[in-house]
Amino acid sequence: MSFSLPWLLWLLPLAFLPLIFQRAHSKSYSWLEMLPADPLSDLIGLILKLLAVLTLLFIVLGISAPHTNMQEVERIGVGAQIGLVLDRSASMDDPFSGATAENSLGESKSAAAARLITQFVKSRQNDLMGMITFSNSAMYVLPLTENKETMVAAVRATAGNALFQTNIGSGLTMGASLFEKVPDSGSRAVILLSDGAGRIGADSQQKIRDWYDRLHISLYWIVLRQPGGLSIFDKNYAPNPDKALPPEIELHEFFKTMKTDFHAYEADDPKSLQQAIDDISRKEKKPIKYLQKIPGKDLSNTCFMLAALMIALLLGIKYLEVNTWK
Amino acid sequence: MGTFHEIKEFSYHIGWRNRGRHPGRHASTQRGMGMEFIGHTSLLNYPDPRRIDLRQTLRDPMEQVYVRLFNQKSATPVYVICDLSGSMNFGAKIRKIRLAADIAESVARSATRNSDPFGFIGFDDVVREDWISAQSFKSHRAVELAERLKDYHPEAVSGAGIADVWRYLPRERSLVFMISDFHMPLMQLEGALSNLTRHHIVPVVLWDADEYTNLPENGITSLTDPESGVKRTLFLRKDYRNRIIESFAARRAAIYKIFMEFDMPPFYVEGEFDADMLTDYFHQFVAA
Repeated sequence: MSFSLPWLLWLLPLAFLPLIFQRAHSKSYSWLEMLPADPLSDLIGLILKLLAVLTLLFIVLGISAPHTNMQEVERIGVGAQIGLVLDRSASMDDPFSGATAENSLGESKSAAAARLITQFVKSRQNDLMGMITFSNSAMYVLPLTENKETMVAAVRATAGNALFQTNIGSGLTMGASLFEKVPDSGSRAVILLSDGAGRIGADSQQKIRDWYDRLHISLYWIVLRQPGGLSIFDKNYAPNPDKALPPEIELHEFFKTMKTDFHAYEADDPKSLQQAIDDISRKEKKPIKYLQKIPGKDLSNTCFMLAALMIALLLGIKYLEVNTWK
Repeated sequence: MGTFHEIKEFSYHIGWRNRGRHPGRHASTQRGMGMEFIGHTSLLNYPDPRRIDLRQTLRDPMEQVYVRLFNQKSATPVYVICDLSGSMNFGAKIRKIRLAADIAESVARSATRNSDPFGFIGFDDVVREDWISAQSFKSHRAVELAERLKDYHPEAVSGAGIADVWRYLPRERSLVFMISDFHMPLMQLEGALSNLTRHHIVPVVLWDADEYTNLPENGITSLTDPESGVKRTLFLRKDYRNRIIESFAARRAAIYKIFMEFDMPPFYVEGEFDADMLTDYFHQFVAA
């Protein structure tokens, strides 16, 4: 049990005011010694004071918002730890080349990504998933969690206006940081969903390579291609020696140099996507241990209810009060 | 002056002879121009030729001149001693202090009608010098004081000053009306009365039916003692109410016993003062 506003507990001594101050509407009597001692009356007087004290006590407790502590339960599941890194750059709002294949004409890449990821999340019930989005910089959305509803909601929330840049390096580094404080289950993967239209500086490249190696994270890259765009698997593509490589190709080349597992898929091909999911499924054999957080229960309403009950009792006694004397 | 005519007078008499020189209406041991023949003496002893008794003078072989002696009727001081302690503020319909003021005014007017001097002494935990009216044949000061008393709200003090009241009373025997609810320890009352035996005390006991018999049947209430400030919560119910009434009956018996030990039969006033009842009291308890 703890309090959200513990400093309000300093008001607790106020609850004992009814013991110090006497009832103000007391009636005058000529000589109290003439009234024989009556234990029942004394008891009722004591109860009245206690009721007043308890009322104030519960009100003060209530406003200091008591709650039971968050509990962490260790769960063991079978699956992978998957970090989803979603591209939110403006280029994701371009049309998606796989649209015809999926029978949804003119779908934007981000909408397609959301649709694909939602399917993916729903098909993977035992995984721990986290989520990072990025455009000009990475945005931390969800830590690794097993709550699939949250995940779907987060995916749905990514569909919206986007910024122009594609900072894949930042997204990937933050994706790696998802795994930093989580015990290694042996199967860790980052699924990067992007259109590949971004370059990574040499420093970031080195950093990503090191981190993914150190944290044993394999990388799955699902490329969302624009209609008529360059395919990274195009065997016939001949680089122009005078120009820099297109960003997709350059990124692919970099990923190939990573020390951990790397697979690239193109999402416009349903087989490719299925293969991606199958590949990841093969990794989910290992048991993973994680802590589930159970939120604490708010007790302030209980306190207020108790205080209201006491006030109701006091009001009831007030109704019984004698008014014939002045 | 609306209340002027409402104050009824009562008639009183005393059963002893005082020695006051001031002519009045009470039997006295003072020689003077009275009607009460007490004997003869020689003119040399009592040189008042108006009172020469010719028959007695002629009958005396020694041929002395005799005069008749008479006792005059004298005035007797009448006092009201009034309790101004906190408990006198009680009273559901009429506050006790208000009732006491009415009684004091009635006594003052009756005393004036009987050509007796009237004095007033108020006390709470001390004798209140500001509530003293020295004895006087002219009652207007006392009446004015009684009028002032009607609106007086006693402070939260005890009635311990009753023990010192005797110092403020005259040396000669006086008729003293002691108005109080006598809500004080019996020892204190007994001590005070033992210093007042010189005087003829009429205890006027002010009790209010709302103190005991008219208690509410059921209910919870919080009460404050007007003198000590102590508070108590009461849960009134039939059984407890009967116990309170018994307690008051026991108290009444206790103070009656004390008053009768000093031969001062108490006069009870409950809720309303009826001057005729006081007249009856004198006929019942005081030998004419």
